[in-house]
Amino acid sequence: MAELFESVNWALIAPLIVIQLILQVVALIDWFRIERTNGPKIMWLFIILLLNMIGPILYFVIGRRQE
Amino acid sequence: MMQFLTVFKREMLESGRNFKWIWVPLVFILLGLSDPLSTYYLPQIIESVGGLPEGASFDIPTPPPHDVLMMSLAQFSQLGVLVISLMSMGLIASERKSGVAELVLVKPVKYSTYVSAKWTATSVLVLVSLFAGLLASWYYVNLLFGDISFLHLLATWFFYGLWLLFVISISVFMNSLFKVPGLVGFMTIVLVILTSIVTTVLNHILDWSPAKLSPYIRMMLSEGNISGDLWATALITIGISIALLAAAIYTFRTKEMA
Amino acid sequence: MALLTVKNLKKNYDGSPVIRGIDFSINKGTCVALLGPNGAGKTTTLRMLSGLIRSNGGSISFEGLDDQTDIRYHIGYLPQHPVFHSWMSGKEFLVYVARLANLDKKTAAARADELLARVGIADAKNKRIGKYSGGMKQRLGIAQAMIHQPKLLMLDEPVSALDPIGRREVLNLMEELKQETTLLFSTHILNDAEEVSDELLMMHNGEIVESGPMEMVRQKHRVDKIDVAFQKDFVPDESLLTALPSVMRIESNRGIHHIFVTDTTQARDELLQLVQSEHWPLERFEVGRASLEDLFMKVVKS
Repeated sequence: MAELFESVNWALIAPLIVIQLILQVVALIDWFRIERTNGPKIMWLFIILLLNMIGPILYFVIGRRQE
Repeated sequence: MMQFLTVFKREMLESGRNFKWIWVPLVFILLGLSDPLSTYYLPQIIESVGGLPEGASFDIPTPPPHDVLMMSLAQFSQLGVLVISLMSMGLIASERKSGVAELVLVKPVKYSTYVSAKWTATSVLVLVSLFAGLLASWYYVNLLFGDISFLHLLATWFFYGLWLLFVISISVFMNSLFKVPGLVGFMTIVLVILTSIVTTVLNHILDWSPAKLSPYIRMMLSEGNISGDLWATALITIGISIALLAAAIYTFRTKEMA
Repeated sequence: MALLTVKNLKKNYDGSPVIRGIDFSINKGTCVALLGPNGAGKTTTLRMLSGLIRSNGGSISFEGLDDQTDIRYHIGYLPQHPVFHSWMSGKEFLVYVARLANLDKKTAAARADELLARVGIADAKNKRIGKYSGGMKQRLGIAQAMIHQPKLLMLDEPVSALDPIGRREVLNLMEELKQETTLLFSTHILNDAEEVSDELLMMHNGEIVESGPMEMVRQKHRVDKIDVAFQKDFVPDESLLTALPSVMRIESNRGIHHIFVTDTTQARDELLQLVQSEHWPLERFEVGRASLEDLFMKVVKS
């Protein structure tokens, strides 16, 4: 694994990490402001925080209650 | 026109407030980035996992640039279409279900205006997101694999965009049939998959099925010129999308909306 | 002059009739109450008039309206449970529906502000509708129905979901509104109908069972009766009462005796004489006129 880490050009990977961070932050802001979600609200907090990448997307697509 | 813009702007405002204008483009960028990166690092990843038996030589040929761009398109076709279907499933259905439609539709707004404005708003968001995703993929492909001309990228965006507009049109049509957003989303996905399956099965007959846009785009990228088949398929896709929209508007007119 | 004329309007749901061919007309400048118990077909009728649902027969004609013009330009409608885009502010929503009604930008904004002040929620105009109380939403609902100055304003059960204070406020607002437009509202509460409206349409089981100006309907169903009550624990000799020439029958209920009579003037004299000579401890004596209630109860129970 260490080799892989060394060989990776971090400038290439950085955008991926930045995007994921933005998604997570935006999802958190929205989670904080929204009144109700589909399913328990607290559950979605864990999904956003613990599932990288997929968590915030799942939240926006499924968790967010439309209107 | 004014009513069209009114509905359109309200949709835009909503997409802004519920962060759709942030997360949908970002999701497409993620999808666009993932394949060029993972393909580029595939040898290292396999090596580090160490799954290769002793002595087995491992040689992955570096794919040509347009193949990598096509991998990104495949991502858009799967997860991208899934996101679009789920995102647009409540476009009209949720307004009808909640009852907001009752207030909106007693105002003298034409159903055709209402439906087409909502279609347009979703389309703009999706086309911009697709462009962002393609741009990300294209940038990484150029960096890691080799050149694809910007003109080809634009052509890819245009023709592939038609496929996504076709998906949105299916969703709007389903919105006119069902009141339950979940059902709308499910039926949209079913119809998209069905289109692909039927096209594969009847490959020899359906030369210009919307599902053929991707293969023709691949040909365009590898051969360099836009084939007559691609143009024909594009026209057919536009035609079917317009028909779906018209059918949606017709259903709304004859059905009781709220 | 009739603003709206409805002829033989019908509606079926799954084959069974909900509205069984109703006829009525609404005169310009009047306030009409559509009164009936729950399930009578009031909401269905209003939704047909507003164009939200289609009828299964009959006609709706609007004064001075040709086939080209959308009827929705002339009607404002407030559903029983109005739902808004909860992420919009009250003002944003009003401007939105105003623009849908083809008002230009400036007029839309001015009209929205004016109405917000008028219905008393100007302070909350920039707050998200999601944060509004039930009463505020109802008032916003009335504002959105009035936004394009409709010739006919239709309100579906505008006060039934509100607490006493909200109810009072909305009723007062309706008093004001009926000065400037024709008002049709549905209710299942007789008091509300009697308080605000000039005309009555009473509905039951998808039919109009009674209609006309309030006073006329009252007269028509007037039952001559005198209500009397005595001091607690006193029980009058009913045979003495029934012996009176003008008395037809007596119904007693919780200490109040409803005496149905042939002629109120004559009966009053006879009754008072009897009370005096027998030294009955009279506490209440009322020549009855609450005729609508009896009619309404009869309709509801049938």
